[in-house]
Amino acid sequence: MGYVAIKGGGKAIEAAESLLDFQRAEQGADALPLDTDSIEHQLRNLTSRVISEGGLYHPKLAALAIKQCMGDSLEAAFTLRAYRSTRPRLLETAIHNSSGMRVTRRISAAFKDIPGGQMLGATTDYYLRLLRMNLLDESPEQFQKVASNWFKDMPKDAVPETFPKVVDALRAEGLLPPVNRDPKSDAFDITRDPLVFPVPRSAALATMARAEQGGLLTIAYSNMRGYGDVHPTVAELRVGYLPVFLPHPITGEPIEIGEVLMTECEVVAMYESSDEGSKPVFTLGYGACFGHNEVKAISMAILDRALQKGAMDGPQNPSEDAEFVLLHIDGIDSMGFCTHYKMPHYVTFQSDMDRLRTTQSKRQSGDQA
Amino acid sequence: MKVSKEKLKLAVKQLTDDWQIQPVALPQAGLGLLKLEDGAFHEPFYLGEFPVTTAHLSITLPDGESVEGAAVMMSDDILHVESLAMCDAILTHELSGCETIRELLVEGRALQQQETNKRHAMLAKTRVDFSLLGDAGDENED
Repeated sequence: MGYVAIKGGGKAIEAAESLLDFQRAEQGADALPLDTDSIEHQLRNLTSRVISEGGLYHPKLAALAIKQCMGDSLEAAFTLRAYRSTRPRLLETAIHNSSGMRVTRRISAAFKDIPGGQMLGATTDYYLRLLRMNLLDESPEQFQKVASNWFKDMPKDAVPETFPKVVDALRAEGLLPPVNRDPKSDAFDITRDPLVFPVPRSAALATMARAEQGGLLTIAYSNMRGYGDVHPTVAELRVGYLPVFLPHPITGEPIEIGEVLMTECEVVAMYESSDEGSKPVFTLGYGACFGHNEVKAISMAILDRALQKGAMDGPQNPSEDAEFVLLHIDGIDSMGFCTHYKMPHYVTFQSDMDRLRTTQSKRQSGDQA
Repeated sequence: MKVSKEKLKLAVKQLTDDWQIQPVALPQAGLGLLKLEDGAFHEPFYLGEFPVTTAHLSITLPDGESVEGAAVMMSDDILHVESLAMCDAILTHELSGCETIRELLVEGRALQQQETNKRHAMLAKTRVDFSLLGDAGDENED
């Protein structure tokens, strides 16, 4: 089968691009363009999603991508990731420990009295999903008053900068497996090396950290509903800002260069005894991603545990199969494959038609004979 | 870091106008990869990338003395990071104008403290006060 080179459509493509921009500005003569600061702050959950799925912590450019793509999170993440591919990789940090996170929310489903206490932070967990019709015509004054009112009655209670982790307390009680980090093993860089299975856990964590939230949730949900048996309890879910340190170029001393908003979750799952005679302990799963994405972090933690089980006992369910999970959760990959079907397939479809016609005519000849 | 970029750049420009400034290494803007220890087994993995810019400068003062300053920031604004590198040199070597930079530092720390106070209030205002069903003093009865 040969391919047929075709040309044409250039003007239509240019006009389509121009039409897209027209739609962005179509609102009317009095309309103002969205400013990226407003997107970053008022659409913070969408910005978080794009940062996380794009794999680049750049809230401003994520907001720009959202503006440019008119709110399409997959396209925006694609655009952000395309941008990152044009930038040189200058360095990598030393290993950061998230216990230094400046927490803005921390909860546990395992204990009510966790060390340091539970703080709900900003959440929709207990929020009635009723439309607030008053926001339809919210005035700038009303809008600004919401923020200024919040700052009234600031509590005087001293709040620690960081908090101990719930899993550390459980581990100290001998209820969790020991930390068994191999000092020789380094993290797998999924942006430089292809996934060749079996992959180390660090490759799985990195892949899930920039996975598409819906894809990750779908596979984790299959495990939750019955195609798996993780049965997680959220030991701790925390949201906050992780300070990032790099060595000073002259002195070499670590200095804080900025911070990243991230979400982190540790789940405790069904206990197991790895071999006869050893003490049974709970199993663990871990999820983390840029931005405020709780569904993603919990889903990732469940899948981390499912993949550990699949690696140890052989996969019994799709969610325990690393190849199945890790090759189907990237939003840019999956969107690209899906949307490529819209592109011209004239030659392959012509070939399909030729084969169908040949089969039909053979069948017809056979029937006549 | 919290002081407005424009204000910082302007202040540094005014202080360093008659100084000779040469890069020790070419300033670079690109990406850094964040390596994180997972909270379950303490294994390292890459969480993702962030923008990073580095600058390392040599400053020759009017009297011929030469000093160095450097900065690295989560940013992609080279001019801003170069300004920070000059601030580093000014503060480290207590060059003329270091009082101006110290004032900016104080301003930046105040802004940082405001942010910290806001975050602490987010926690303090939403701290869960658990009590057993039937206990007196339920917070919802106030």
